[in-house]
Amino acid sequence: MTTQYVDRRGFLRIAGAAGITAALAACGGPTTTAPGAGPAAPEQLDYTGVKPAPEITFWSNNPGGSQAVTQQIIDAFHASQKDIKVSLVSAGKDYEEIAQKFQTAQTGGALPDLVVLSDVWWFRYKMLGSIIPLDALISAVGIETADYRQQLLADYQYGDAQWALPWARSTPLFYYNKAHWAAAGLPDRAPATWAEFAEWAPKLQAANAGLQHPFQLPALAGYAGWTFQNVLWGHGGGWSKDFDVTCDSPESVSAIRFLQDAVYTGKWAGVASKDSADDLSAGAVSATVSSTGSLVGILKAAKFDVGAGFLPGGPAATSPVCPTGGAGVGIPKAISKERQLAAATFLKFLTSPENTVTFAGATGYMPVRTSADTAGLIAKSPLSKIAIDQLAVTRVQDRARVFFPGADQEMAKTCAKILTQQADVATELAALKTTLTGIFDREVKPRI
Amino acid sequence: MSWEDGLAATTRRRFGQRERHDFLVFLALAAPNILLIVAFTYRPVLNNIYFSTLDWTLGAATAVQVGFGNYVEFFTSSDFTQVATVTAVFTAATVGGSMVLGLLVALALHRRMPGSGFARAAVFSPYVLSGVGVGLVWLFIFDPVIGVLAGLLRMIGLPSPQWFNDPSLALAMVIIVYIWKNVGYAAVIYLAGLQAIPQDLREAIALDGAGPWRTFRSLVLPLLSPTTFFLLITSVLSSLQAFDIIRIMTPLGTGTTTLIYEAYLQAFGGYNRAGYSATVSTVLFALLVVLTLVQVLVLERRVHYR
Repeated sequence: MTTQYVDRRGFLRIAGAAGITAALAACGGPTTTAPGAGPAAPEQLDYTGVKPAPEITFWSNNPGGSQAVTQQIIDAFHASQKDIKVSLVSAGKDYEEIAQKFQTAQTGGALPDLVVLSDVWWFRYKMLGSIIPLDALISAVGIETADYRQQLLADYQYGDAQWALPWARSTPLFYYNKAHWAAAGLPDRAPATWAEFAEWAPKLQAANAGLQHPFQLPALAGYAGWTFQNVLWGHGGGWSKDFDVTCDSPESVSAIRFLQDAVYTGKWAGVASKDSADDLSAGAVSATVSSTGSLVGILKAAKFDVGAGFLPGGPAATSPVCPTGGAGVGIPKAISKERQLAAATFLKFLTSPENTVTFAGATGYMPVRTSADTAGLIAKSPLSKIAIDQLAVTRVQDRARVFFPGADQEMAKTCAKILTQQADVATELAALKTTLTGIFDREVKPRI
Repeated sequence: MSWEDGLAATTRRRFGQRERHDFLVFLALAAPNILLIVAFTYRPVLNNIYFSTLDWTLGAATAVQVGFGNYVEFFTSSDFTQVATVTAVFTAATVGGSMVLGLLVALALHRRMPGSGFARAAVFSPYVLSGVGVGLVWLFIFDPVIGVLAGLLRMIGLPSPQWFNDPSLALAMVIIVYIWKNVGYAAVIYLAGLQAIPQDLREAIALDGAGPWRTFRSLVLPLLSPTTFFLLITSVLSSLQAFDIIRIMTPLGTGTTTLIYEAYLQAFGGYNRAGYSATVSTVLFALLVVLTLVQVLVLERRVHYR
């Protein structure tokens, strides 16, 4: 009998082949399907007889510096009952970071029970089947949806289902430096139209009010797609109408050209590098448009009287020209019914009339309940009344911005070319339409 | 069986036993490491190559097999030229800048003078700092409204450049920061190289009448070529994988979208195209392999070892 020896080379060959085979066999990731496989209809779960889980986690990016007030509300929840314990997890510094973590958790595990969903992310989760429709849970825990501000509630509705509840909701607001306004001899109010502000701008420039410009356009990353809807709608345009991309329409071109002229021709507007609210607070500019979520921060940082008003409109429309924004809260699909039920129980408490006022007072976000007693809030911060009043004239955002993955980034890139490199408006918006249409055809159309 | 056959069988058996023993020792020592490398290095690479053939949205449970579709889209897209150009400019500028400046700093630090120990530590310290921290500090320096640089420029009546909004300036900005961070590393490696050059060679070339420049060009630089070669490989690989400072200073990638940042943006920057992102990552991986092979097989021949 002869003995078969395996030399080192032979061993390495075998080990290498085994390793590669094992690695290929272990290739994780998604299950492949045929192209064009359509979406499943939303499944409404039945929670009859389900007992809430004793412990849940709430993932938040703490918008508007809300970690302390959120923990305060959680502590109040613990005091009000003993069955469910909530742990607040800081899962990112902004909506994008929390979205990254939530999406990787879909494959990596360790999902939260309740998660903050920004206006541009929730629809993607809905398309991917990562979150559940809340209607059955709303009935199970007795959430009074009729008491929520309907325009904020409607932001999370699609296909006859409610996919999230409003929580840290905001709108853009027109902020101005009252001292600069006074130096320029302007009335103590926000302009009614952008044309009116264009008339005011030379007076602010002549008064040498700000270090830089009379007006600071918000930082384009994250803000262009959102706040420029105001100018687009005012001119009768928009990013899209339903799922049809209309960013290259004559009205839309006219709107973005108005902004480009403000920067390059009138020279009364600049583009913020980071946060235009910081530039206003520093006294570098006389006015800006920023989120109501920046209200508390601006008031704390500014060493001058801050004025605020509704977003200007015109020339085609003056109302409604203010988009809603901010974030809601949703519940993941791939967790147990017990955890979902516990999460909904806390969600009811989190967005109660009392707690929405507490949250709004600490952050500047909007109270999301119509029965919320805002008198104390307004007495403490009179400017918050303007933000609350503006809710009545808000408009649901264009679908291209909030439903198309990556559209917000593409809008920001296009606006950057137009507003910082003086690119041709019509050409860039036509190119944007091509890109957005491609995103719709590839990412959205097969899933709706 | 003759006695010769018996001896041969005994030798083979003893040799086989020793081989088996050595093999088991090798297995015990190497297997854990091999398994870890396969699990956490090779397997993800293979996974990534597989994902690059999918039309897969990050977080989705299902995907569609598209073969080389993502590669065709990437190489034919208008973004490809821009990403390739930014990657090439960024890599050449950061590698070239930090190596040239590092050599100059090393030559300065090579002289014995008071405080040279502190100077060496000061030059090297940015390299060990967290990229995120470095990015945040430089964000404040470059801020055109409230930044240190803007304040200095205002004092002499100049406006601040729009570092964050102008794509060319944004690229220049992150290149400056990366060079600042990496120059200490190159300086320390070059300094070690300079200290290894024998004094007798310096004396010999001085006796031949060579001045400082001739000494540098004909003696120092050639003898530093192994150091330069090592720095070139490590710096190129490091630059092609640079991410943290770009992410902190230019989150949208305005003018700074290198290959690795494009991979990040496509998966996590709002697009959620995990399959397409894997394609970009695979292209980057292939580029790194090719560049390393070229450096090892071609450039090493030009290196002068003593």
